[in-house]
Amino acid sequence: MIFLTLIFSTFREAIAKKIFIGFFAISTLIILIFLFLINVDSVEGMVNMMESTGEEGVKQLVIGFEVAMINISYLLIITFCFISVSSFIPSMLEKGHIDLLLSKPVSRTKIILAKFLGGVLLIFISLLYLIGFVWLILSIKSGFWHVPFLYSILWLTLSFAIIYSLIIFIGLVSQSTILSIIVSLFLVFIVGPVLYFREETIFSLVSNEAFQFIVNFFYYILPKPTDINQITTDMITGNPIKSYMPVFSSLLFMLASLSASIFYFRKKDY
Amino acid sequence: MSVISTKNLSKEYSSKSFSQENILALNNFSFEVESGEIFGLLGPNGAGKTTLIKILLGITFPSQGEIKIFNKEINDESYKFKVGYLPENHKFPNYLTGEQVLHYFGKLSGMSSMDVKKKSDEYLKLVDMDKWRKTKIKKYSKGMLQRLGLAQAMLNNPELIFLDEPTDGVDPIGRKEIRDVLNNLKEEGKTVFLNSHLLSEVELICDRVAILNKGSLVRLGRVDDITSVSDNYTFTTSDMKEDLLNSLLNNYKATINGANEFCINTLSIEDLNAIIDLLRKNKILIHGLVREKNTLENMFINLIGSQN
Repeated sequence: MIFLTLIFSTFREAIAKKIFIGFFAISTLIILIFLFLINVDSVEGMVNMMESTGEEGVKQLVIGFEVAMINISYLLIITFCFISVSSFIPSMLEKGHIDLLLSKPVSRTKIILAKFLGGVLLIFISLLYLIGFVWLILSIKSGFWHVPFLYSILWLTLSFAIIYSLIIFIGLVSQSTILSIIVSLFLVFIVGPVLYFREETIFSLVSNEAFQFIVNFFYYILPKPTDINQITTDMITGNPIKSYMPVFSSLLFMLASLSASIFYFRKKDY
Repeated sequence: MSVISTKNLSKEYSSKSFSQENILALNNFSFEVESGEIFGLLGPNGAGKTTLIKILLGITFPSQGEIKIFNKEINDESYKFKVGYLPENHKFPNYLTGEQVLHYFGKLSGMSSMDVKKKSDEYLKLVDMDKWRKTKIKKYSKGMLQRLGLAQAMLNNPELIFLDEPTDGVDPIGRKEIRDVLNNLKEEGKTVFLNSHLLSEVELICDRVAILNKGSLVRLGRVDDITSVSDNYTFTTSDMKEDLLNSLLNNYKATINGANEFCINTLSIEDLNAIIDLLRKNKILIHGLVREKNTLENMFINLIGSQN
C-alpha cells in the first residue's frame, strides 16, 4: 500500500509539474498531424496508388509510416521524457522533504524502486496513448492491422527504463537535474550512435588494436539505445533481428545502475 | 518504561576537504526518554541536536553506539509506524493542498484512506487550518506550514513525536496553541521529543531536558532540578554602615551592590532569617526582599558560555 502511494506520488508530481500534460499535448499534436497527413490529397493519392499495386504496397506504406513514427517518438518523446523525469530524484532529495520521507515506515530500497517504476509506468502510459492512437488511425485507414508496431511501446519503454536507471543514479549522487539531463542525452544521442557505428566511424580512423579494445569494452558495458531502436525498427519492418545481445547487456546495465542507486541511497546520510 | 534509549552514541562526519579533520557531531551520547514525558533537547547551533533526531529516525546513520526505540533496534523499520516527526524547515510538495499533504504522508505512515480522512478532519481543526485545507501549500505562510506540519506529525496517532523547532515562525498566540496541543498529547500519554531554541517554552512544557554542546551531553535532568540553583535573595535596604556590610560579606559571602543593596546565596531558611534579624537589630529598614530563581535560559547561557 505504501509502495503504491509512492508510485502514485510520482504520477502526481508529473501532473503537477505539467509533465504529463505537456506530453499529452505533444502526443495529441502528433496524432492530429498524422490524422491530417493521412487525409491530405497527396497521401490519399499515394495510398490509392499503393492499393493499386496490391496489399503488399499498402503494408509497405503503413510500415514506412510506423518507422517514421518510431523515429519521431525516439527523438522527440524520449528526449522530452528524460528532461521531464530528471527532476524527480533531486526534488525528492530536497532538505526537509527527504527527512520526512525517510521518517516513514518505508525502506529506502522501496523508495528507489517506486520512483523507478513510477517513472517507467508514466512513460509507458504516455507511449500507449501516442503509439496506440497512431496505430489505430493507420489501421482503420489502411485496413492493415499491424500488431508488431504496438510492441514498439514496450521497446521504447525499455529504452527509457534503461537510461532512467542511470538518471536515478546520477540524481542521487549529484542531486542535479541538469547533470542528469546532460548525461542521459549525451548517452542517447552521442555515445549510443557513435558506439553503434563504431566500425564505420572510429575504427576507420584509428586502427590501433588497444584503442579498439577499449572502445569495444565501452560498447559492451554501456547501454545501447541506438541498437534497441534498430531492433524495434527491424521488428516493425520484418527484417531479421541480428542479435538480442544489446537488449540483454542494456538490461544488465539497468540492473547494475539500480543496484548501485539502492546501495548508495541505503548508505547515505541525509 | 523507556521509549528511547541510546548508549555511547557517536556520529562522525567525514570532512569534505583533505586538510580538515572529521567533524564529531555526537560524542558518546547516552540517554533515555521515558514513556509519557515531554523531553527537551537544548544546545547551541551545531551542538548535534538535529543529528541526534535524524539518527533516532534512521535518516542519518550512527558511527557507533546502540539505539533502541520501543525496545527495538532501529534497523527494524516497524517502529516508525508509532512515530511522528516534524522536521525543522520541512518541505512539503508545494503542488499539494493542505489536505493532500496529510493524505500523502498519512498513507506513507501506513494509514487507511478512511483513517486519513477522519484524522485529517480532526487535526486540521485542532491546528486551526481547516479553512485552508483546499488551498495549495505554496500559498501558505511559514506559520501555516508549521501548523500543517504539526498536524502531519500527529496524524498517525503516534506514541512518540519528534518535533524540531515546532514554533519556528509561529506568532505568540499560535505558540500558546501549540503548547496546549503538546500538553494534550502528554495527557494522552504520548511521548514528545522536542528540540527548540525557545528556552522559555521548553521550560514551560518539558519534564526533562538534555543539554548538548559540541556533540556531548553536558546536562540531563528534570527542568525543576536544573533551574533550581541554591536560592539567591536580593535585599534592598536603607543605607548600611560599613561594618555591617563587612559582616555580611564575611559571614554570609554576600555580594554587595552599594550601600543599600546586597545579594545572598543561601541554602537554608535559618540563615535567611538570621540575616533579617541582623539587619533589624542594626535598625536597617528592609525595603525589599526578592528571591531569585534561575531560568533555564540563564542556566543554559552560563553553562554553554563557560564551556565555550
